[in-house]
Amino acid sequence: MSYLEIKNLQKKYTANGPLIVNDMNLSIEKGEFIVFLGPSGCGKTTTIRMISGLEEITGGDITIDGESIVNKLPRERGVSMIFQSYAVWPHMTVYDNIAYPLKLQKLPKDEIKRRVEKAAEATEIQGLLKRYPAQMSGGQRQRVAVSRAIVVEPRLFLMDEPLSNLDAKLRVTMRTELKRIHTQQGSTSIFVTHDQSEAMSMADRIVVMYKGKIEQIGTPMEVYQDSATRFVAEFIGTPPTNFFDASIIKEGKEIYAKGEGFYYKVPASLHQALADYVGKEVDMGIRPEYIGISPQKKEGEGYLCDAEIDFIEPQGSHSILITRIGTNQNVKIHTVDYMDMKPGTKVSCYVKNEMVMFFDRETTKRIK
Amino acid sequence: MMDRLSAVQKCVFAIILAGMVMLVTIPLLFFITVSFSNATEMTQFPKRMFPSGEVTVYVEPEEGGKYELFYDYKDGNGYTSIITTNSASKLEKHFARQYAVTIDGDELLEEFAKTRTEGAREFTFKKDMFYNFRQFFKIVPNAGPALKNSIIVSLYTILISLSLGSLAGYAIARYKFKGREQINVGLLIVRMFPTVGISIPMAVMLIKMGLYDTMLGLAFLYSIPNIALTSWITSSIFIGINKELEEASFVFGANSVQTFMKITLPMAFPAMAASSMYSFLTAWNDTISALILTNENQTLALVVYKAIGTTSSGIQYAAAGSIVLIIPALVFTFIIRKYIGQMWGGVEL
Ligand SMILES: Nc1ncnc2c1ncn2[C@@H]1O[C@H](COP(=O)(O)OP(=O)(O)O)[C@@H](O)[C@H]1O
Ligand SMILES: [Mg+2]
Repeated sequence: MSYLEIKNLQKKYTANGPLIVNDMNLSIEKGEFIVFLGPSGCGKTTTIRMISGLEEITGGDITIDGESIVNKLPRERGVSMIFQSYAVWPHMTVYDNIAYPLKLQKLPKDEIKRRVEKAAEATEIQGLLKRYPAQMSGGQRQRVAVSRAIVVEPRLFLMDEPLSNLDAKLRVTMRTELKRIHTQQGSTSIFVTHDQSEAMSMADRIVVMYKGKIEQIGTPMEVYQDSATRFVAEFIGTPPTNFFDASIIKEGKEIYAKGEGFYYKVPASLHQALADYVGKEVDMGIRPEYIGISPQKKEGEGYLCDAEIDFIEPQGSHSILITRIGTNQNVKIHTVDYMDMKPGTKVSCYVKNEMVMFFDRETTKRIK
Repeated sequence: MMDRLSAVQKCVFAIILAGMVMLVTIPLLFFITVSFSNATEMTQFPKRMFPSGEVTVYVEPEEGGKYELFYDYKDGNGYTSIITTNSASKLEKHFARQYAVTIDGDELLEEFAKTRTEGAREFTFKKDMFYNFRQFFKIVPNAGPALKNSIIVSLYTILISLSLGSLAGYAIARYKFKGREQINVGLLIVRMFPTVGISIPMAVMLIKMGLYDTMLGLAFLYSIPNIALTSWITSSIFIGINKELEEASFVFGANSVQTFMKITLPMAFPAMAASSMYSFLTAWNDTISALILTNENQTLALVVYKAIGTTSSGIQYAAAGSIVLIIPALVFTFIIRKYIGQMWGGVEL
């Protein structure tokens, strides 16, 4: 049994309303850094509020260390939380904010002092203990919230979009900082975000959520390279995966994906999976960096089609080329080889390393 | 163009502001002046802006040990003959009543005796600046207890309307229940009622409860509109307090009572201080309800009101009474203001 188990978790806000969290199952090991990733409104906040006890569950069970916590009050669950608004109390000094949970536990004064100072040190706010939140920057308030969360030495550490109110630069530094604190404290953490690059850079495992359901659970590499559904392929990665409408055609021993403007010979590794889809419509997805281009005509293995470059977006380390293939007017190609290509250039496009994905139209699941 | 326009705007604002300030301060200044004036100064026209600190009389010796006193003696012209007497007690009374000069009668006669050898001349005496205030407490014998009553009834009113009003405000802000909107509107309507309208039925009720002519009974009446006002003000503050602040408290180990006492209530404090000011002012300034609901135990405002209404001669005593009435209100207001301003490192809510 895992450290934290979420079993068939369900949530409805109103009796006849929609299932906001729909049959969620998840196991988390001690010490893991888990990120809930999904677009706004998919139920991430609802889920961690159910874990913290601030929201009642409609169905299912949550256990920590084999013991069900769903009937416990928030304060009995041994979890701490960092809120999106930080929720540091404006009428208390930083010291009192951090000491609050310890004072409620009626710990001796000197122990409270020692632990508050230790927590403040971990987030590097030792010098601010006498200040009020109004006298501090957003980043500093965030650190107060983190100190308060670690001072109780929680069994589980919940964070609801804690970085979303910070400016872009600070957000990136705080990522590293939070991850460092997580490792130092040896805590088990669930971190909620809708920012996929935040998720990718922080998570041990990412839980991709969409409309109250888990789409995929996996390491950052897995969800990126081996996306389980069309949604995951689309949501993760900037720019996102390019999609094409394709129909699967069998010609002799070969299988082709035929779409408007391309006729792609499917690699042999996918033949078995696609066997059931011959004659059917599917979604074909290729990530921007797996579309190769060549200014010379290059038919043969992996060849997709010919195209004309419309725009170019230089990024310094690489460039994004924008072109049209069939009905997709906004195909993005990540290139490091042709960074200063001129708009209007005619190129041949091909799929690199057989990195093509097919998705079932009905279930949106990956065909593999 | 922009600059000139804003200069004109600034001018207009300055004039409007100055007008408003004058509108508020001139009557107040006038009352302050009056409260420091003596009876003679009261009859002068035009009235002086600042009451003088001393009184000068011109004394002429008369036959039979009498002296004739002149006030406002201008080079022998236009002076007013006030009194001719040789009685020490009469002189003493006259000086106190007319000039607010407290001095022994025999001492005066001794001074005036100088005119018998030196001829008629002027004498200058120091005015007792707080004569009117002392006199107010003397001629209105229940002013002292009334001041105490006013303080008590104000404290009761603050206590009742704050505790009940903020709880109601919290419920309205945080819980969804049937009729919440109606209650919200109802609160405003209660606030619109003139308290005097409820005074008569309240009097009947209070007599039944044995609370007639007590400060607690009076505080109940004052609390009616103020509970409504307090809950109205605090509910909008509670709504403005981010729910996550309370939830953080729950997660970090507090129960509901602890959360309310340690998080919610302190954060609503500025609003509660502001509404307590309203409660205070209602209780402190009311006269008409106090007139109905009390008999022996009058409040200061009522006493001052009666003093102003009944004394035709001594308006300066009533003015002194009014100043006595205003000062605690001012002090209370400034303390609250300062306290709100200094809280939490100057956080704005
Ligand atoms: N208290 C609530 N009452 C009713 N519906 C809610 C409540 N909180 C959230 N929802 C709904 O539940 C869905 C998921 O919300 P939330 O968990 O906040 O999503 P996320 O955090 O992923 O953006 C949204 O459609 C939202 O409108
Ligand atoms: Mg959310």
